[in-house]
This record gives sequence, C-alpha cells and structure tokens, in this order.
Amino acid sequence: MRTWYHSWRAAIRIARRDALRAKGRSSLVLAMIALPIVGVSAADLTFRSSQLSPEQQLARDIGQADARLTDPLMGGVPLLQSPGNEYSSPEGDYENKPYPDGSTDVAKAVPQDARTLSDSLERAKLRTEHGLLNTEIRELKAADSMVKGMMPLTGGRFPQKDHEVAATDYFLENSGLKVGSKLTARNLDREYTIVGSYELPGSLKTDQVNALPGALLAPLDKALDKAGLRPTHPDTSYLVEVEGGFTWNMVKEANAKGVTVDSRAVIMNPPADSEVPLFQKEDAQNYGLSPAADNATLAVIGTVVLLALLEICLLAGPAFAVGARRSRRQLGLVGANGGDRRHIRAIVLAGGLVIGIAAAVVGTLLGLLLTYALRPVLEDLVGERFGHFDVRPLELGAIALLAVVTGLLAALVPAISTSRQPVLASLTGRLGVRKSNRVLPVLGLIAVALGVAIALYGSLMSDQFLIVAGGSALAELGVVALTPALVGLFGRLGRFLPLAPRLALRDAVRNRGRTAPAVAAVLAAVAGTVAVATFAASDDAEIRSYYEARLPHGAVALGVDEAGGAREVPGLRSAVEKAFPVGVRADVDRLLVGDPGCTTYDGYGSDNPECGRYELITPRANECPLWVSDPKNPEADPADRFSKAERRKLTEDWRCKNTLGGGYAPLDVVVGDAKVLKVLGIEDAGAEKALADGKALVFDKRYAHGEDKLRIRMVTDLKAADKAQSKGGTAPGEVKSFAMHRMEGGGQSYGVPVIMPPDAAEAAEVNTLPYGAYYSTDRMPSSEERQRLDSELSKTGVQADLHIEEGYQSSNNVMMLALAVFAGLITIGAAGIATGLSQADAEADLKTLAAVGAPPRVRRTLSGFQCGVVATMGVVLGSAAGMLPSVGLRLSERRSEMQWFEDALAQGHGSIDDKPFVPIVVPWTTLALLLVAVPLGAALLAALVTRSRGALARRAAS
Amino acid sequence: MSFSTPQQSQQPQRAEQPVLQLQQLTRVHGTGATEVHALRGIDLDVFPGELVAVMGPSGSGKSTLLTIAGGLDLPTSGRVIVENTDITSADRKTLAAMRRRAIGYVFQDYNLIPALTAAENVSLPRELDGVSARKARVEALAALEEMELAHLADRFPDEMSGGQQQRVAIARALVGDRRLVLADEPTGALDSETGESVLALLRSRCDAGAAGILVTHEPRFAAWADRVVFLRDGSVVDQTVRSQADSLLTGRAAEL
Repeated sequence: MRTWYHSWRAAIRIARRDALRAKGRSSLVLAMIALPIVGVSAADLTFRSSQLSPEQQLARDIGQADARLTDPLMGGVPLLQSPGNEYSSPEGDYENKPYPDGSTDVAKAVPQDARTLSDSLERAKLRTEHGLLNTEIRELKAADSMVKGMMPLTGGRFPQKDHEVAATDYFLENSGLKVGSKLTARNLDREYTIVGSYELPGSLKTDQVNALPGALLAPLDKALDKAGLRPTHPDTSYLVEVEGGFTWNMVKEANAKGVTVDSRAVIMNPPADSEVPLFQKEDAQNYGLSPAADNATLAVIGTVVLLALLEICLLAGPAFAVGARRSRRQLGLVGANGGDRRHIRAIVLAGGLVIGIAAAVVGTLLGLLLTYALRPVLEDLVGERFGHFDVRPLELGAIALLAVVTGLLAALVPAISTSRQPVLASLTGRLGVRKSNRVLPVLGLIAVALGVAIALYGSLMSDQFLIVAGGSALAELGVVALTPALVGLFGRLGRFLPLAPRLALRDAVRNRGRTAPAVAAVLAAVAGTVAVATFAASDDAEIRSYYEARLPHGAVALGVDEAGGAREVPGLRSAVEKAFPVGVRADVDRLLVGDPGCTTYDGYGSDNPECGRYELITPRANECPLWVSDPKNPEADPADRFSKAERRKLTEDWRCKNTLGGGYAPLDVVVGDAKVLKVLGIEDAGAEKALADGKALVFDKRYAHGEDKLRIRMVTDLKAADKAQSKGGTAPGEVKSFAMHRMEGGGQSYGVPVIMPPDAAEAAEVNTLPYGAYYSTDRMPSSEERQRLDSELSKTGVQADLHIEEGYQSSNNVMMLALAVFAGLITIGAAGIATGLSQADAEADLKTLAAVGAPPRVRRTLSGFQCGVVATMGVVLGSAAGMLPSVGLRLSERRSEMQWFEDALAQGHGSIDDKPFVPIVVPWTTLALLLVAVPLGAALLAALVTRSRGALARRAAS
Repeated sequence: MSFSTPQQSQQPQRAEQPVLQLQQLTRVHGTGATEVHALRGIDLDVFPGELVAVMGPSGSGKSTLLTIAGGLDLPTSGRVIVENTDITSADRKTLAAMRRRAIGYVFQDYNLIPALTAAENVSLPRELDGVSARKARVEALAALEEMELAHLADRFPDEMSGGQQQRVAIARALVGDRRLVLADEPTGALDSETGESVLALLRSRCDAGAAGILVTHEPRFAAWADRVVFLRDGSVVDQTVRSQADSLLTGRAAEL
C-alpha cells in the first residue's frame, strides 16, 4: 500500500536523528520554543488551581454552616440581594432621598430554632516582640463544627478559655511570637496565651488573632473607655445552622429586615433569575460582566500570543535554515534516491515538527512540575491556597500545540527554499550565487507600506491598540522579506573598508540566502526590545511629568492622623531628628474641631457626633462659576448653565485653575512658624514678618476675603452640614476670621494652601493638636537610617506618614537594562549561528587566502567581521522596525487622551492645567547599547572562539 | 592505451530492450565566452545484465554523462530513455519518481544518509515511494541478505568501513524494481582490495540482470565491465568489448 504518510515517517526518522546529532543547535531552538510554553502552562495551572469550586469557596466563607447573615450597613431598610450575595441594593427608589446608611441588628433576622455562632471582626493594636502591630481580632468560637474549613489549624489548638487566643501563621511570623507566647493589647493589662496557629486559606497574608466571643474586645472596650478613648466597633455577622438549610425564601425574609445572607442551599442551587427581585429591577444589566469586555481581553491576549509566536518563528527560523544548509549533501542524496521537492520539504519541516513536539512535551512537563513543586511558593505569592491541583488536559494540550505550530512555522521558509535547490547543486556543493528573488522585495515593500499605513491609521485616526499592533506586525514581516534586498544595499559600503571587513561584507552580501535569515533573527530580537524600551521610556517620561514633589528635594515630612495618636507625636518628632541628618526641624500642628480623639478624616462622613471639621471659606466672587451649584436646583450640574465656548473659556479663568500648582498636603491649614518656610525653601522677608506678626500666610488667593482676611468655618454638626451641602447650601458653623498675608506664586508651597502661626490660632480660640513636623536635611537619608527609623516608628504602633522627598523614582531602569541584555544575547546568538555557517562555506576562500600568504590572524579577523556585519545589519534594521509600533501606540494614546481632555473641557469638568502630556521618548541609552556594544561584542566573541589555523581538510570531491 | 584510432560502434545486437538509451546527447554549460561543450552527440545503449565502464581524462564529460543519464541534469539536446520512458521531457515529479523506481546512484563517497541505519538507507527509496515502513524494511533486509550484508543492517554509516558503505549503497541503488545503477567512481575513496570487492558486488548484480554504468579512472576496475567507453572532450573516442577489456587485466584475466 502506498500512502503519503509512509514517506513522512521516513522524513521524521531522518529529522529526529538529525536533531539528536546536532545537540547544541537543537537544544537552543528547543529552549526558545519551550520557554514560553513553560510560562503559559504554569500560568494556566496556577489560574485554574486558584479558582475554587462553589463547595470549596463556601467552606472558606461559611465553613460547615448553612448560612452567614451579614449587616450590609444600610440602616436595616428592606433590600434585595443576588443569590450569591455579590450585589445588594436597597428596595425602592433612593434617587431623591439620602442613601440608607448605618448598622442594624443582624440577630433579629436569625430564624427561630436555628443554632448560631457570632463572628466579630475588629482591629486593635497588639504588643509584639517588635512593638505594636495593628491586627485583626476575630471573636469566633473556632472549635465549633460549623467553623470547620474556614480557618484550618496549623498547630496547637483553638482557644477554649477566655485568656487563650490562636493566631494566623502570618501574624506569628510578623510579630515574632510563637505558640505558647504571651500576648497583650495596647491599653489592656490582661495577658493572653497563644495556644494555637491557623491560616485563612483565602487570604494567607492576614494578621489575625482569634479569641472566644467577649474574651478580648469587651475587656479592651472597658480599658479604652477608662483611658478616655473611643471604644471598638466590631463588624459582627452570624453563622447559622438550620434544619433543612437556608432557603431562598428565608433569604428574602432576612433581606426584608435589612440583612444579607450567604446561603449554602441558595448558592449550590440558585433560583431562576425570574425569582430574583434584584434582577427584575430596571438597571439589572449592571449586575453582570459585559461580554464585550471579555472579547476585548481575548483579542488583546490573542494579539500578544500571535506577536510572540511571530517573534519566536523569526528567531528559530534561521536555526532550521542552518540545519538544512549543513545537511544539504544529505538532502541531495535523498533527491538522488528519488526524493522530490515535497520529500525534501517534509524532511526540513519534520525537523520543526520534531523539535516542536519535544518542546511541547518538555515545556508542558516542566510547567506541570514547576507549578507542582512551587505550589506553596505560588500560594504565598497569590496569598491564597489553591482549591486543588487543577490540570485541564485540553487547555494544556492547546498550549502545547502552540509549540508544535511554532516549530512548523519556523521551519516552513527554510523547508521551501531548501526544496527548491537543484539536486545536483546540493550534491556537488556548487551552489554558486543565486540570483536574488525579485518578487520577495516587492512583496516586502508592499507589506511595509501597508503595515506602516495601517499602524499610522491606527495611531492617528483611531485609538485601537489592535490596529497598531497588527500593522506593526505586518510591517515587521515586510522588513524581514526585504532583508535580502537591504543586505544588498549594505554591500555598496564595501569599497570603503579594509580587507577583512570588506571580505566579510562582500561574502555576507553574495550569500544573501545565508545572511538574510540571521539578520532577520537579530532584527526580530532588536525590534521587540526597541519597541518595549521606547514605550517604557515614553511612559516613564509621562509619569515623571505628572510627578509632583510634596517637598523640596531631600526634605522630610512626618504626619500622624490617628485617633489618640497626637500624644505620640513629640516622641516621633525627635525620633526622626535623631535618625536623620536633620538641618531645620519645623513642628506643625493641626486645627482641631471637636473631640481630641477625632482624626481629620473623622470630619468627613463619620457618624461620630463628637467629631467635626473646618472649612476654608471661598468668597462667592472667587468661586469658579462652573462649580457653584444653583441653590434652587442643587441636583443640576452647575456647568450646564454655560455654553460649550463659555465653559472652555472659564476653564482658563484663575478661579477655576489650580493655583497651587499641584503638590499634595495632607492639611488645609498647617499650624507652624517661620521654620516651615525655611524647610519649604520659601525665602520671603514679608512672609516671615507676617507669620511673626501672627498673620496667616495664604498661598491660594481664592481664599482671600478682601485684601487681608481669611475666614474658616468650624463645622461641629456633621449631619446638619452634609444635609445643607447636599442641597447646595452652606454648612452651619461658627466662622472665625484671621488676619492674613497673601503670597503670590502658590507653586512654591508644595500644595500647602495656608500656614497659620500658633498664636493666631490661639488668639482666635481654635484648638490645635500636635500633628508632625517638616525637616530639612543635610543629605539624603541613607537606606540604613531609614530602616532604623522604620523600626523605631513601628515600635510605637502609631501609623505615621513619613515622606522623604527623593524626586521621581523610575522603576524602569532595571527592566530596560534586562531588555537590552536579553536582546544582546539573542543578537549575539543569531549572529554566531550565521558566522558559523559562513565559516563552513568560506573554508575554500580561507585556503586561498592562506595560499596567497595571508597571516593566520586574518582568519580570526574575518570571522569576527562576519559576525559583526550580521549583528550590525540586524540591529540597524531592527531598531527602525521596533520604533514603529511603540511610536504608533503612543500616538494613539495621545489621541485618545487629548480627546478625553477636550471632552472634559467642553463639559466644564477638569482644568486646563490637566492637559495630557504623552511624550515619545527614544531610549538612547538602550539604543546605543544595542547599536554599538552588541555588534562589537558579537564580533569580538566570534573572533575569540575562532581557531586561527583551520584544520587541513581534504578538498571536497567535485 | 590508445585513443588515436576511433573504431566503428561495436555494440552487440540484442533482442531485448535496453534499460538505458542515450541518443545524440549534447550538453553545453554556459554561453558565449564561458561556453563549454561537456558532451557532443553521445549515443549509448545499456542492456540488462550489462556493465559499461566509462573512462576518460578529467573534464572529458564522464560525470556529466552520468548525471544526465540519471535525470539529475538535463541535456542541451538529445534524448535519455530509461525503461522505455523519455526522461528528458518528463516533469520534475516524474523524474523524482523515476529515481525512486528505476534509477540507482552510487557516488564516490558520502553515499549514505548518516541519520539512517544501513537497512533504513536501503529502504529509503521505497519509503519515499509510499511503501509502508515494515514492507520497505523486509525488502531492504532481503536485498542486504542477497548481497551478504545482512549483518550490517542496523549499523549507522559512521559504524561501517568505506567498503561496507559502498556495498550498502549498491544495495540501495538496486532495491525494489530498480534495474539501472549509475556508479560515479564508487571505488575512488577506497584502497584497491576493498575496491575490488565493491566491484565484484556490482558485477554480480549485473550478472543477475541489472544494467550498470561505471565511471572510473582506473583500467583495473574497468576490466570488470562488459564494455568500456572512452570519452575525450565530450565525444566517444573508443569503445572496447569485454574480450578486449579483459586483455587490460594482468593476472585476473587468466582466471576467467
């Protein structure tokens, strides 16, 4: 029986044995193809393994209980929830009413004759080996059978008495404590013994301490109350066990009482959408992922995979070309024995198939093995235990298939070109100089033009990333097709060069069939690197331009805004002064409205009646008209009153501009003296005098009432204030007036709007609280000094905001260097392959050279230059090809951001200062490294590894 | 040896069809100043059971004759007929198929594919032809057996001596239905004793019914042939029949 696959079997046999014979080349290609497969299959395994089944997820969330009842903090109003409790929303229409807010009693929603366990969470500061650690406290009877699966024990046991606790492994690691250690909380004189350790499978990186209900938080509350501090405010939910499970109807009953439920029965058997009232609401389409987003993600992933495939093919292709060339006599023999073109093609293609299959197997196995072996590390990295080791054969098979496809594609071009060589020429080795293909350069030129046009269209006319990427890929293929012709152009430079480089260049140009694939490989590697480097450098420049220094370079700011933190501030101030090379220390306080236990943030949206806030008052005349809402119609967008042109004009009005020039200050009013000016680098005698005279310094002229008054409103009743402001009115509160000195050029203040001398605050009878300090330094604090200070600060247990102004820190440098090194290695490898090949070909020439008296070193020089020529051509062409996609991408980004900006301006949002800055930066360092160092390195390396005396070979029989 | 007196064609008259017919074969390499006439009007028939030796100085056209006879190269004019098929007008595929099914080559050296064992080398043309690997192997083993090379079947070329390699190459050239073997200095890289054994094998295959052309420099080896054709500058200048060729031998002639 004669069938086509029998001849394929012979081809595969030859290819397999050849691959084994050329181990070096084969393993290089195999590594190139297998590496991405390892990565992708490991990623697939990790992703799939970290996805949990509903049962596994339930075990983590509610253990063995039937349901968990939770307070969604909507004030107990009836609400609607999705079956899985992913979404909930209050029943009815809240468009014109304040959105419900506040806690409710969950216990009232618990069905009768249900067994319950309360599960309370709150944060508290616990004393550890290193100081104080802000830790989650969980009061839950963890030994109960209902809890099984939520927090598996890893050592010891769960607490059984009131003075016992268990802790997560992560807490033990962070605190330096161990099972058996004693533990106590700040302000609490009771001691607890750690009797066990556990982990939270869904969030391994959580500091958590478990105690019995009422064992820790209640005594802590008492102690806090005694110290005059605010009590704890735990979130309590209930685990419920109920006969017959927690049905959907019971869930709806609980919803009516303002409580949400995670029910095992409902999650395992969700009701039909028609039975879910939430889904019947008008805006139901909001609850769910849009398939369009999924498709877009898929398209991007697809493009990236295709581009990666293309690059690998371009890199691996030359290796197959070399293989085919090395074995051309063998392929000639096959021809002499009746192999026709398709047989020759089959043998070279089978080389790709064999290596592709080997890469698929090796890659998938390594991926499996690595994921399996590194599972604990990966789990730590993801911060979550895997449900189980989830191997999806179909997905892994598809990923492995990519390797086979890559191998075949990489071998395709060499297969076709090899099969076209006449048998006689292959047998005798008299290949001569083949006429270059006339169609290929034309096709290449068309592809380049078309690709550039598409990429330009993508970047200038649309903001579609895919179009830019597709166009760039096409253009790069075009350049590859053009390579032989371009190599020919390089040849014209030859006459200006001395003997060895001239010979190398002529040789490279005359043997384009051999040079072009190697140049293409270098081109591909360099193009990828240049593209990524250009994009990264441009992106970096953009982020740098948006960076706003909070302080002068080298200055340090310390701030504490925490309930009860103020008493630690003096100690912290001197700790910084001691640790750092401080020049000037300027202590600053903050204005306080209400109880000293309140933070600045408690003044906004806190329901603590003891807390308040202050507001800098802007005179009506100084307010930006675009932002002032109409008291009669507070719901309407104030900007709607203006036409598009008016809005556009108003955005350039001083009242609507950010006159502080950006920056960021945590306080609206910094209470401090002239030293603050010194640290901020403001040298202004008038300003210093004003502060000394007890006048407030105002950097934002919008706050000026007349020429010399600053007004601040002390808001004490937050609820009333919010109500009034939501209706477009002003908040009630006493208004204090201060003498002020106006500073021009707000940019100098690093975002600080007002500096107020302490005596001015005192005179106006406004309370202040120690907040922190500004420091100028003699030099940038060293990393050692910082670490020392960090450990000092953490001992106090106060969350201090320490900012050291170092200017913009780019995270790109290491990546750029790594990229350049990677591209360099590939380039040298590809150039090396080409050099080895040309040496095999040039043996006869070298003999002739030796015969006419060339010294042995010519041999070295020649191979060095041959390698250098290939590397140079590849790097030059690749740099050009790599610029296109990144520049196109940046242009398309610039377009879309400008579009967005213009829209915002036209609608009266945003400010003219926010004009997007999307620069295109050429990474000259990386380019220089590639253009100079890489060819040089390749050439030197090739020269070094070449023996200066060739083995005396028998002349090939003619 | 004298080329001075060209003789009339002394080809034997036979009833059977020749395996190979060369008719008025010319081959011109290059054009204009670089024009070289490699062959000028060659006529040659080779019959089953006949071994024809082609001799001549370097550049006389011996190798060109062989490559054209096997369809690896095309003549400028004239016809090549192998097993009643005119291969000069055949397309590439047919030519390749002819090499698989009708024509076998043996070169001076490097005849075997290094990645394949002896048996696999021999079965290669059959496998390329689409015969199943098992059947091709059976045929190859039979061929090797017949030529007393069965012990080499599973050796790779680099595990065999030069003479063994050449004998395996002959086995490959004649595997399946192939009856024409074209040997281009098959003994060129061998010492004389090994060379003799290779030629003995070739001779025995021809005696068994194959037709062969042997290009050689050495009169010693030409003596194994039924006929010797002398080429010079692309033309046949002399032909001898077996009896005359025998006279070129020294000791061996007496034995036959």
